Amino acid sequence: MGIMSEKEQSTTHKIGIYLWIWGLLFVLSFFSYMVDWYQLQGLLRWSLILIFMFLKAGLIMAFFMHLFWERYALVNVLLWPMTAIGCFIFLMVAEFQYTVFTRLFYFVVGGQ
Amino acid sequence: MSDPKIEGYEFKPGFKGMAQDTGSDQTMFKGVHWGKAMMWIFLLSHTFIFSCFLISYMKGRGSTLIDWPNTSEVFSLHVGSTPVPLLLIAIMTFVLITSSGTMALAVKYGYEKNRKMCGWLILATAIGGLTFVGMQAFEWSKLIHEGVRPWENPFGAKQFGSFFFMITGFHGTHVSIGVIFLFIYAYKTFKGHYDEGKRGWFTTMKGNYVEIEILGLYWHFVDLVWVFIFAFFYLW
Amino acid sequence: MSDEYENKTGYQAQSSETISSGGRGGGSGTVPDADHVRPAEIPEQDLYHGHSFITKWVFCQDAKVIGVQYFLLATFTGIIGLILSWLMRLQLGFPEAAGFMTAEHYYQFVTMHGMIMVVYFLTALFLGGFGNYLIPLMVGSRDMVFPYLNMVSFWSFFVAVVVLLASFFVPGGPTGAGWTLYPPQAILEGTPGSGMGILLMCISLILFVAGFTMGGLNYMITVLQARTRGMTLMRMPLTVWGIFTATILAMLAFPALLVGGLMMTLDNVLGTSFFMPTILKAGEVLEYGGGSPILFQHLFWFFGHPEVYIVALPAFGIVSDLISVHARKNIFGYRMMVWAIVGIGGLSFFVWAHHMYVSGMNPWFGFFFATTTLIIAIPTAMKVYNWILTLWRGNIRLNVVMLWCLGFIVTFVNGGITGLFLGNVTVDVPLSDTYFVIAHFHMVMGIAPLMVIMGAVYHWFPLVAGRFLDEKLGKWHFWLTFLGAYSIYFPMHYLGFIGVPRRYFEMYDSPYVTSAVGMNEFISVAAFIVGAAQLILIYNIIRTLKIGKPAGHNPWQANSLEWLTPSVPPEHGNWGEKLPVVHRWPYDFSVPGAKEDFITQTTPPSEVTETEVEKT
Ligand code: HEM
Ligand SMILES: [Cu+2]
Repeated sequence: MGIMSEKEQSTTHKIGIYLWIWGLLFVLSFFSYMVDWYQLQGLLRWSLILIFMFLKAGLIMAFFMHLFWERYALVNVLLWPMTAIGCFIFLMVAEFQYTVFTRLFYFVVGGQ
Repeated sequence: MSDPKIEGYEFKPGFKGMAQDTGSDQTMFKGVHWGKAMMWIFLLSHTFIFSCFLISYMKGRGSTLIDWPNTSEVFSLHVGSTPVPLLLIAIMTFVLITSSGTMALAVKYGYEKNRKMCGWLILATAIGGLTFVGMQAFEWSKLIHEGVRPWENPFGAKQFGSFFFMITGFHGTHVSIGVIFLFIYAYKTFKGHYDEGKRGWFTTMKGNYVEIEILGLYWHFVDLVWVFIFAFFYLW
Repeated sequence: MSDEYENKTGYQAQSSETISSGGRGGGSGTVPDADHVRPAEIPEQDLYHGHSFITKWVFCQDAKVIGVQYFLLATFTGIIGLILSWLMRLQLGFPEAAGFMTAEHYYQFVTMHGMIMVVYFLTALFLGGFGNYLIPLMVGSRDMVFPYLNMVSFWSFFVAVVVLLASFFVPGGPTGAGWTLYPPQAILEGTPGSGMGILLMCISLILFVAGFTMGGLNYMITVLQARTRGMTLMRMPLTVWGIFTATILAMLAFPALLVGGLMMTLDNVLGTSFFMPTILKAGEVLEYGGGSPILFQHLFWFFGHPEVYIVALPAFGIVSDLISVHARKNIFGYRMMVWAIVGIGGLSFFVWAHHMYVSGMNPWFGFFFATTTLIIAIPTAMKVYNWILTLWRGNIRLNVVMLWCLGFIVTFVNGGITGLFLGNVTVDVPLSDTYFVIAHFHMVMGIAPLMVIMGAVYHWFPLVAGRFLDEKLGKWHFWLTFLGAYSIYFPMHYLGFIGVPRRYFEMYDSPYVTSAVGMNEFISVAAFIVGAAQLILIYNIIRTLKIGKPAGHNPWQANSLEWLTPSVPPEHGNWGEKLPVVHRWPYDFSVPGAKEDFITQTTPPSEVTETEVEKT
């Protein structure tokens, strides 16, 4: 098994890495709280919220749930189905915009 | 966790390894305990459940013509007389992340067969979870006190109350179930069931420290869902 | 408790020197290089053996018994669904004879019939029944990986069925909202069963989903993590591929149903307005307001379309194996078949709104969903070609099993072609909600999978019970069912074209009445005959259990592992002392130069040196 490095062969990881991730999660949570604290609005608010959210989710999955150390077969099986959810989200955004449009058009404007 | 050694099988890294693992006999996830693989698939299915909840919430919130309440104000707490926005939620997030950290360490010590350390960390996780549920109960009662109900909401769109109680309720239920299991597992760890391989009460399967990692996956997932709820429900 | 465990400790490693040769006997000693299979990497399963009646037959943890339990309970609910369909056909064909039936009854029967047939009959039968029985046997494991959970899965299904049937006896009766359960009408007064009926339906569905999740995890992980030595994914029988992929779809699609059902229950019980818009009823504005009915439709069909493939994919898989065995030919394009199953499964998550062309959704969606829908026809067509090419120049045994397979191909092609009609927005708009749609989906997901189930029953009965079902009775059963079913559904296409709407209690004085009346009578008579013809199967089974011809080992000369167990029917633990070792795919039929016209999966290469067998 020549290709594997020493680190990959050990069954548990050094405590330092967990403490690091733990700390990062606190910092990121604090940042996302600050987004609200300073009442950032618009695109900036959205992109910051999403960035911090995905970073936190990624760190939890990668290190606390060990996905970073798992083999690709598992990682890929877990991540590919998310494309269906992505498609669902994308289409439901289009759908709610259309619903708002019809509601405004028929209930507020009066369908003229 | 990481690549195990398997007699007569040479591991390859990356996508090459993925192709080789998939094409091999016996197992596809090499060295992964079946229970762990099962939990992962269960969580994948649960991801779809929570995604459907959040997508429904997005669709509902996006298409209502009545204003959505300002969450930053609705969820503020008064410290002295100044309202601090989202204070309780921030503390809840803090607690849940803390418990996630202790859980991750419990898994590590479990694999190192450090029974005491593992047990105490699981207990700490359980207490963190309990605190979270308690604070959620407080938040619910505060909102109910202010007149928010699943079917009505004095601050704006009805759906605010509906989605709030449903989504946090569903998440809270999962936290509570997790807490119950954490207490049971803490007991079993202290009793040494995982060292001796004592059989489970119902499943009659032999105990093994891998169960702690499996429970850990569930617990981290609950935390993960909270990350999304925090971003989409409270910060949006 | 008197129950015991097998006390096997740790790795019961089978050294590569002792290779079992399955049901064919002989073969130990030193192993030639060519026969080497790498050693076991997972420990021997530690099984729980029940000894009391309750642990052996009721709360049983043996996947085979659970499979039979699922099969029987699903069949029972299926028979209820069949009786409901008779009542509907009575009303449609001979309204004067159905005086006892009101319009409300009719709606309730339609709804319960649809839901029972799709979810509680076909899904439970294919995945719970065939999945449980066949997966461990076909991949060469001793049982499902988590037998206890598997047992709980069946009993959740049991409770779900009890709750479902209980709704017939509550005030207001079962729900009459249609199997799609669309709000707002599903929970508004005026729809039959709008109170308790729909509540029990949602509860029952949630229980079903929970139970199914437990079973589904087992099916998936058994396939992924508990195959025997030498059993690669690409050596699995297509049956396993079909059931496995369908299970993945179920694990990812049922969540949407669960969420939709839960939210509707909250609307119903707590008065939330997730799906309920502002509603004016008899001049009064209801409490509800601001919700989105179309959201439910999206959730429902995000589940609903994969659901139709949950039913179809196992049928695809099983029929491939039956055809291959009874045409004595390897399945044409095995890899293509696998990729088609996986591709259809993946695509089925991107087509759901083709059920919603007339719902008032965002009009742009028509482009997207028509395109994805028509793309799915490609892998589907590939499968059909491959079945036909498998038959081509095969050494076909025209027995009952093969007849059912041929019946499947015909009905499936028929239903698939009408699917292409309906996939196009402009064609669908006038046909939507007419009998044309009824004809389409009954052909494609009603009759076609049913044909496969029947074929599978005749094929695997000798394994489960050790005796052959009677061929002569079987042929009567087949021809009556096949011709009868065609007489029912083929005319429905025409009814759809002339505009007869679906889910209508009666036609009143509509212009199409005259041409529809005679046809409706004809269809109803055919429906009664087909239903009654199923009694032949029941009689055949009972008769066979008593005086059927004993089957013995591997009666069909098949290659896959389920026929190679040391005892027939297989016992708990399936394989006796030693797990089988697999050397090839299950489709080595009629290999030139081989001694017999089949080479089992456990036959080592060194025993077939003179043949032209390919390496698989
Ligand atoms: C060639 C592939 C297929 C295409 C293009 C197709 C297309 C469609 C379309 C567009 C509809 C909606 C009709 C309407 O409501 O106006 C429909 C309905 C339906 N299809 Fe298919 N389909 C295909 C295969 C299948 C298969 C394989 C199954 C099941 C095994 C199936 C089961 C159903 C069911 C149950 C409905 C009716 C649902 C309802 O409204 O109650 N279809 N199909
Ligand atoms: Cu569809």
